[in-house]
Amino acid sequence: MGTYTYTSQPRALPCQRRRYRDNLLQPDDEPMRFGNIMYDRRVIRGNTYALQTLPLAGQQDPLELQRLQQAKRRALARKRAREQFRPRTPEPVEGRKHVDVQTELYLEEIADRIIEVDMECQTDAFLDRPPTPLFIPAKTGKDVATEILEGELFDFDLEVRPMLEVLVGKTIEQALLEVMEEEELANLQASQNAYEELRSIELAEVQRLEEQERRHREEKERRKQQQWEVTHKHNETAQKIAAQAFAQRYLADLLPSVFGSLRDGGYFYDPIQRDIEMGFLPWLLNEVDKTVEHSMLGRTVLDMLIREVVERRLDMFEHKYPTPGNRSWQGSSGAMAGSVGPYEFQAPGTSPTQNSFLAKDYQSRPTPDRRSLERGLSQDGRGVEEGDPTGQSTDTGVKQTAELPDVWNSAQP
Amino acid sequence: MDATTAPHRIPPEMPEYGETKHIFEMMQAILEQLLIYKPSDTIAFIIDHLHRDNDNVPKILILGPPASGKTTIAMWLCKHLNSNLLTVENLMAKDHSPLTDEARRHYQRSKKVPSRLLVRLIQDRLNDEDCIKRGWILDGIPETREQVLLIQTLGITPRHVVVLSAPDLVLIERNGGKRIDPQTGEIYHTTFDWPPEPEVQNRLMAPEGISELETARKLLDYHRNIVKIIPSYPKILKVISSDQPCVDVFYQALTYVQTNHRSNAPFTPRVLLCGPVGSGKSLQAALLAQKYGLINVCCGQLLKEAVADKTRFGQLIRPFFEQDRTVPDSIILKILTYRLNLEDCIQRGWVLHDYPRDLDQAQLLQSLSHKPNRVFFLNVPLDSVLERLTLRRTDPVTGERYHLLYKPPPTIEIQTRLLQNPKDSEEQVRLKLDLFYRNSVELEEYYPWAITINGDQDPYTVFEYIESGIINPLPNKGP
Repeated sequence: MGTYTYTSQPRALPCQRRRYRDNLLQPDDEPMRFGNIMYDRRVIRGNTYALQTLPLAGQQDPLELQRLQQAKRRALARKRAREQFRPRTPEPVEGRKHVDVQTELYLEEIADRIIEVDMECQTDAFLDRPPTPLFIPAKTGKDVATEILEGELFDFDLEVRPMLEVLVGKTIEQALLEVMEEEELANLQASQNAYEELRSIELAEVQRLEEQERRHREEKERRKQQQWEVTHKHNETAQKIAAQAFAQRYLADLLPSVFGSLRDGGYFYDPIQRDIEMGFLPWLLNEVDKTVEHSMLGRTVLDMLIREVVERRLDMFEHKYPTPGNRSWQGSSGAMAGSVGPYEFQAPGTSPTQNSFLAKDYQSRPTPDRRSLERGLSQDGRGVEEGDPTGQSTDTGVKQTAELPDVWNSAQP
Repeated sequence: MDATTAPHRIPPEMPEYGETKHIFEMMQAILEQLLIYKPSDTIAFIIDHLHRDNDNVPKILILGPPASGKTTIAMWLCKHLNSNLLTVENLMAKDHSPLTDEARRHYQRSKKVPSRLLVRLIQDRLNDEDCIKRGWILDGIPETREQVLLIQTLGITPRHVVVLSAPDLVLIERNGGKRIDPQTGEIYHTTFDWPPEPEVQNRLMAPEGISELETARKLLDYHRNIVKIIPSYPKILKVISSDQPCVDVFYQALTYVQTNHRSNAPFTPRVLLCGPVGSGKSLQAALLAQKYGLINVCCGQLLKEAVADKTRFGQLIRPFFEQDRTVPDSIILKILTYRLNLEDCIQRGWVLHDYPRDLDQAQLLQSLSHKPNRVFFLNVPLDSVLERLTLRRTDPVTGERYHLLYKPPPTIEIQTRLLQNPKDSEEQVRLKLDLFYRNSVELEEYYPWAITINGDQDPYTVFEYIESGIINPLPNKGP
């Protein structure tokens, strides 16, 4: 909330300007970002006392700051981590001490005194940048040399011998070992192969036995199945035969019983009997019917005749002897007496054998007479009319015999 | 001797199958139909017939004088048996065919239809689907012998013919009270069968032709004709007196119609007699065995025989006998199976008594391949049983068995020394009876087709009932 402060380690702000003509690639330590201070975002221009800590234009600045800080922190952490995992030299063994040794190409003298060197330079115009010379640090210290003459040091051949022996021996031993190992391996392999062969032979034997066993078993199963089928078939056949025998016995009585029941039901009938019953008897009954009707008719006719004659006689008598009181009974007796005459030739007919005589008489009479009588006989009309369809249809023939008593009853005066 | 002529052991399932499925009657029906119709393709005809499966369908004729209640009985039977009713009016009321028109013309003219026409109408109607499937009941047809003969010639044979009869005077009087409901066609009577609903009562009207004279004439006709019709159906006819209440007549007709006629099927009786102690089962079994040659199998006797003969089974049973406990069902079943599997039992049939004492035993028996085909329950009241059993005495000297009421000992000397079997004492008898009555309800439910007989009568009477039960086929209990 105060003024804006910015601190950093003094360092050269690199500029974007190229120093040399054909320096197309920038050096590595020249970051691209920094440039003209005039155009640097971080430089505040104008009055700063009214500024907030987070300027508008530079909204990202504190964020960038934070980011930078975080990046720095991360880099630090990374560096620390790397430091940790960097392989370091192990601690010195007991009784020893590590000593730093310079291993570069050129040894450097390390001294407390800071070496100061004055340098001056002048810029030459438009020089091509010469290639960077190889950094060869100045040689410090003194060169000291030693000369070793022949024979002053050890004799190589002599000294080398035990070492050589040991080396060669060891090598040969190693080689021997290796060869022995190889041989051993070969032996092992050979014995394994032998064993493998044995095993495979045994396996083959076992398989053969198994195969044989399996075949036996299958054969057994098949035989059992066959046998079972045979017995099953046998059983079935026995059952079927038993069923057939039983059915034969059971239905032995079938035909007689069928025919018996059909006969009881009336399906089988004697054709002659049927013919007689259906054809002959109705006709016969009809004829009897007709005959009886004829005889009845005759009787009625006779009655009518008698009545007429008696009435006529009564009239005649009344004409002759008109007496008031005696009319009824005298008239009838007189009519009876009077009608004896023309009646005499019929006297045998009034005997008890009336029926047969009348029948014969009636049948011998000519037909026109009958028809006139028919018309005159109103009472008999019904009987005779019904007699005709009686003769024609056979259905109701039997029924009509019931009508006759009525006709007879109604014909009687 | 080849395999077909060797003696065979016919398994008992076969005759049983034949009986239960009525194979003989079925084959008889098929053969009859073949003879009547003589089809060109026999096998297809037989297959058709078997598909139709109408051997047990009701085919009934109901004949009787006017006012005997034929139509009422016929309608009730129709409803009960779910069958079709055919009357003269019915046949003519069918839709348009030249036959029915002609029939109607004849009827209008002379109040009757000629026989040949009527028979053809009947034949047509009987060939309809519903008559084939549900049977038919002819009410009042045939009226004359001619119609009977025509119907018989066509091969239409009823299975039952019911003839109602009553004295003429009763009929004349009864006809005077006849009333018809025009809407439903039901027949009511002013005295005997008055409808309860008032609206039905109001619309009843008297039919024509019920005066005394007319009834007398019709009766005369009827008597003339029925004399010739009755001999045409010799074995299937039953005359029922219709001088009783309607319901009685109906029940008699129904029972008759539901009985099957005796057929010539070979039949080995396998009879089961059940009843309380002292109902006479052993006696009846002995009589049956003697008369028909059946094997008398008494379960208790079998067990005692096994023990006495010291067979394998006997050894098993003896400890139970010695300790006076009941033998377990499995052993009894094994012995029974063994006995019933013997040739003589299979061939001649058997009478079993003293076996199923409770439902489990009955179920075990049913699971055998020997199922009984007649079951009889002998009912005797408690007092009779007590009387029969508690008065039994044995003479220790001669070994004769007497009964103090039915077969008393001849001399007093014998009477004094008679002893009673402790198993015949009253408490024992009551115990056994209680045991039986506890189980009898379940047994009766298990055999719904059993025949119950009153065992309280003379043994020969009971024997006759049992005989008739065995010989007549079992009635089919309706649809």
